Amino acid sequence: METLLALAERIETSSVGAAIAESRYAFPVIEGVHLIGLSISVGLIFLTDLRLMGVLFTHVPVRDVIHHLRAYVLVGFALVFISGGLLFWSEASTLIESPAFPFKMLFMVLAGINALYFELVLAKQDAVQENRPLLPRNVKLAGAASLFLWTLVIICGRLIPYLPRWT
Amino acid sequence: MSTAQILTAIQNSAVAHAVSKSNHMVAAGLQIVHVLGFILLLSSIVLISLRLLGLAFAKQPISKVGRDATRLIWIGLALTVTSGTLMFVSSPRLYYYNPAFELKMLLLVAAVLVQVLLLRRVSASDSPTPALVRTTVALSLASWFGVGLAGRIIGFI
Repeated sequence: METLLALAERIETSSVGAAIAESRYAFPVIEGVHLIGLSISVGLIFLTDLRLMGVLFTHVPVRDVIHHLRAYVLVGFALVFISGGLLFWSEASTLIESPAFPFKMLFMVLAGINALYFELVLAKQDAVQENRPLLPRNVKLAGAASLFLWTLVIICGRLIPYLPRWT
Repeated sequence: MSTAQILTAIQNSAVAHAVSKSNHMVAAGLQIVHVLGFILLLSSIVLISLRLLGLAFAKQPISKVGRDATRLIWIGLALTVTSGTLMFVSSPRLYYYNPAFELKMLLLVAAVLVQVLLLRRVSASDSPTPALVRTTVALSLASWFGVGLAGRIIGFI
């Protein structure tokens, strides 16, 4: 933890990190890009999850939802990761000292594993490939898990400035 | 009553006290609802925009995709406006004199007008003209992106 903190301090005192932190507009504008990027990526994933759960857009085949939205989800994620990387660069030590940050990362990894499992295993099922109206239970569960995990990612992200530091 | 007096009266109201004197996790909770509502709202607008432009679900009628998307847009708007109002009421003087907040409110009014007058109607019809679609999508996305950006800047001015 000591070395991690020392490393984080070196990251945020680097010229780029310090420039972002000290600029009047860079930091909030990057935060804004982070918000818009995640509204596109996580937001479209939420809508996909609601489709998998059979709540909304039930007339659109699941395969279409996944294939048509993928490029835009990825564009959103590109915005989120670039802006998130810059934010980390400028406040690395604050972030690693906040308990919400590692939990956010953890839930992101779990959401990623869930998405991969869906993509590589669940989506290959005949019911999904043939656009049958009744989807298997495991597809609905994967949608609910994704909705739950990404909600936790958002909650943890927003809690970063509100939670006390690790001691 | 002057504006400053009105703001002070709001700040001293029971609702304002309930929010601002409570645990700061209540404020964090409002922020979380605000963000989740915005994500729901913006992603639904992105989705219906993609359909209108023919970039997604082109085989489905616009009005069918539009019905579900419009429902989510209103749910998202209700969540953001409710949480946002409680945030404003708890410290009106802080927000009212903030230039980023003023810009956000102007953009919000524009975005809601675009929603009510254009996007809602365009996404309920099955063959809107391409020019109307492009104008509506551009105005809607630009105003909501602006609301999001200005909103993030409020805390830093």
